[in-house]
Amino acid sequence: MKSVIAVALLSALLATPAVAQGADAKAELGKVKPKDFPTGPIEYTVVYPAGGGMDVTARLLAKHVEKWSGDKIVVNNRTGGAGMVGHAYLATQAKPDGYTVGVIANLMWGDAMLRAQGRWAYTDLEPIGYLNSDPLIWVGPTDGPYKGMSVKQIVQIAKDKPNTVRAATVPGSMWDYILDQVEANSGAKFLRVPFQGGGAGINALAGGNVDIAQGFFSEFRGLADAGKVAPLGVAAPERLSFLKDTPTMNEALGGNEYQWIIIRFAVVPKGTPADRKAYLGAAVQAAMKDPELVAEYLKAGVYFDPKLTDPARMEANLKAYADAEREFYQKTGRLK
Amino acid sequence: MFERALNIFWILLGGAAAAYAWTLGLVGSSGPDSGLFPFISALIVMAAGVVLLLRSPREAVAPDFPRGAALGRVLGVAAGLAFMAVSIPYLGFAVAGFVTMIILLRAVEKSGWLFSIALAFISVVVVVWLFGRVLGMTLPRGPWGW
Amino acid sequence: MDAFGGLLTGFGVILTPENLYLCFLGSLIGTLVGVLPGVGPLAALALLLPITFTLTPVGGMVMLASIFYGAMYGGSTTSILLNIPGEAASVVTCLDGHQMAKQGRAGAALGIAAIGSFVAGTLGVIVMTFFAPAIAAVAIRFGPPENFAVMVLGVICTLYMIAGSLVKGVLMVALGFLTAAIGIDVVNGRERFTFGSIDLSAGIELLAVVIGLFGVTEVLNNVERVVKSTVVTDRIRGLWPTLADWRASWRPMLRGSGLGFFLGLVPGGGPVTASFMSYALEKRISAHPERFGNGAIEGVAGPESANNAAVAGSIIPVLSLGIPGNPVTALLLGALVIHGVQPGPLFITQRPDLFWGIVASMYVGNVFLLLLNLPLVGLWAQLLRIPYRVLFPVVLLLSVVGTYSANKNVFDLWVMLGFGLLGYVLHKLAYDLAPFVIALVLAPLLEQSLRQSLAMSPDGAMIFLQRPGTALMLTACAVLVALMFRRTKKS
Repeated sequence: MKSVIAVALLSALLATPAVAQGADAKAELGKVKPKDFPTGPIEYTVVYPAGGGMDVTARLLAKHVEKWSGDKIVVNNRTGGAGMVGHAYLATQAKPDGYTVGVIANLMWGDAMLRAQGRWAYTDLEPIGYLNSDPLIWVGPTDGPYKGMSVKQIVQIAKDKPNTVRAATVPGSMWDYILDQVEANSGAKFLRVPFQGGGAGINALAGGNVDIAQGFFSEFRGLADAGKVAPLGVAAPERLSFLKDTPTMNEALGGNEYQWIIIRFAVVPKGTPADRKAYLGAAVQAAMKDPELVAEYLKAGVYFDPKLTDPARMEANLKAYADAEREFYQKTGRLK
Repeated sequence: MFERALNIFWILLGGAAAAYAWTLGLVGSSGPDSGLFPFISALIVMAAGVVLLLRSPREAVAPDFPRGAALGRVLGVAAGLAFMAVSIPYLGFAVAGFVTMIILLRAVEKSGWLFSIALAFISVVVVVWLFGRVLGMTLPRGPWGW
Repeated sequence: MDAFGGLLTGFGVILTPENLYLCFLGSLIGTLVGVLPGVGPLAALALLLPITFTLTPVGGMVMLASIFYGAMYGGSTTSILLNIPGEAASVVTCLDGHQMAKQGRAGAALGIAAIGSFVAGTLGVIVMTFFAPAIAAVAIRFGPPENFAVMVLGVICTLYMIAGSLVKGVLMVALGFLTAAIGIDVVNGRERFTFGSIDLSAGIELLAVVIGLFGVTEVLNNVERVVKSTVVTDRIRGLWPTLADWRASWRPMLRGSGLGFFLGLVPGGGPVTASFMSYALEKRISAHPERFGNGAIEGVAGPESANNAAVAGSIIPVLSLGIPGNPVTALLLGALVIHGVQPGPLFITQRPDLFWGIVASMYVGNVFLLLLNLPLVGLWAQLLRIPYRVLFPVVLLLSVVGTYSANKNVFDLWVMLGFGLLGYVLHKLAYDLAPFVIALVLAPLLEQSLRQSLAMSPDGAMIFLQRPGTALMLTACAVLVALMFRRTKKS
């Protein structure tokens, strides 16, 4: 019991400066709060199952938004169709009254452009706050014939002996796209093994059932620390601060198009009243300034894209990323 | 007669599903494609329907479908649930549930008005409290905010 | 740190007032939530996760773990009493458990379910304590071919389970496979049988099917009859299992525990698969298989033990490797991360207090749950005394909420109603509904693992023979099929 009290006192002491500066942030937020809003809990919709990376991001965010705004936030998982059902719900069914906020990723663009079949567009969801970015990372084994090899060496083997290197992939998403790029540029041919998510592929890698996998840092960190898998290449523009020894995919293969990053951001359905949208956005910004939240996100192995952290330029730059993705689909014949 | 109709239904369903599955492609580059499993399953449904149809004169089981008041009660329950599904998006869970329960209590089991209203009210309030507040689930709201 | 040292550490961690209280609270909440139709461990954990944020990592994880298996204990209650499954893993308990309730033996059924769950849960934790690292090392090598073999075994078990006409049973299994194909093909991302509907692209929700096919169908069957005052018209004969019940149940409990634990390790397996494989096993080796479906207590003892043992089995990969095998354990992992703990193979060495604390809490939790559930048996059994005309609208209301809780999608209510009506009609025409549900659960995993296995194999189908575990299991399947033919030829 004594230790509990001691911990509590210590936390209170450490939190006091944060609380002091927090008082201003809370006041700021109070200024943009619309009248009579909210009168009930706000739903943060997550389109992926509970416990996953997106869900953890959303719950951490909700925890801190509640702290700063005093509003009740309920995190709700609307799953199905690898995100499709949730995205469609947000875009077409959720009432634009400010009580629904979607915590989603740029994977929504793929759903909107390739699979929505005209039922909705990505412009039906308006971004209100940027959360973080998580690059796709190639992960290799620490056991077996491919252990210790670099990305370049493995790609070479895939080229010399086509259809022998087993690569875990998630069909119809950036896992496939980066493999397409690598294969197109190097003439390699991987044996693709489909999984429902990056994590499943990495687990298969740890068990020796595939030879190379892709996923996010939070998905393989435990296994990497234990030496069961090793990160080989990061599909980001620069090396990650916590993986300094891992080259970027561009460095490893010599190119500049190997950039596949999950960008997480919060949206509201189009048509939400402007004052409520502004308030919800401000609440997210306030939470994102909280050093505790930033620290928890960094622990999960994300980074903060400088192009998106400035709220004034976020929307425009997100649109630029979306347009770049559309171009990619058109270039590779997935979209007419 | 009903059994016969059902067997024909299985045959048609299996056939249609098999045809659709065929269009999805049966075999791809690395083994079965999207259509293979549904195709085989649909064929089995169809085959089973045929076997049952051929057998039915001998092994006829006369189904005891309800008549009259009993049928009314069964349909009443179905109607109540259908009403619930239709009206929840517009009336919200609380009101839709309340009305549905009254329908079920009155029409199906002929309970008194006072009893029905009281039970419906209490049940809905408890359920909404339990799921909405205690468990924190967002139940659909009506235009009146709850 | 060896197992005994670890257990000492763990009990040191758990046997504090706060942690004991949290374990108890989690067990209570889990049981109550599990009793609610349709709200199973996943929904309970997702809804209650925020409560744990203010707790310490140990406290939070202990509470979540006890909610998990509390929900498994509670799930059998409505299955037995009202034929409405508390969650998918309790479907099989409806088959014989509700029949027992109708015969006035609800108390015995509930009691055996609780005790079976306790035995299985405790045995599972004991195995976990001593063998977790070794088991984890094997479990991680389980790949698509092994999963496929387990799924084939599951389908064969389903065929064993079929009561009544074999042709109708096979039709139901095939229909289940077909229904499972509705949605997105996970192997290549294409839509199948969705006809442009967004709701269908998510697939048919298992929970809606289960509640419709069992719960709603049962209500429809019951309201047909005019003279239907309560669920049970006989006197409730005693609240405790008799000696005969014990003698019949203890071996199914042990078998169920073993089977369930193994299946919990298999990714995508878990409590649902464990419960019905246990049922099929008990039916197969019973001297009087015709009793199953009419109130055979083995049909309650086995599956209820199996689904609790599967909980322990599925937690091993989470704690020892940081690998989730099903959505519930994925959520537990997420909770660990939110609490700032890094799961993975180093978890046991980096946080022995947390690892062993969770293990110890499972011993304690099982005891709490037994102490909680046994007295409640009397209370639940009284529920059956409520006049049916009052009971059924409330039951339907709870079914609606329970179904809705899965995806918060009104479409699922239509699925529930549709399958309720379908079940009603099919039941009249002597179709056995359970095989449909089981096929619906197994089909996606079977198809996915088959296609994954072929995709990863340069030699095509040879991979099933090249891997020893798979080859062994598939041989066992072939033997079982041969036995089945021999049996039908004989009779």
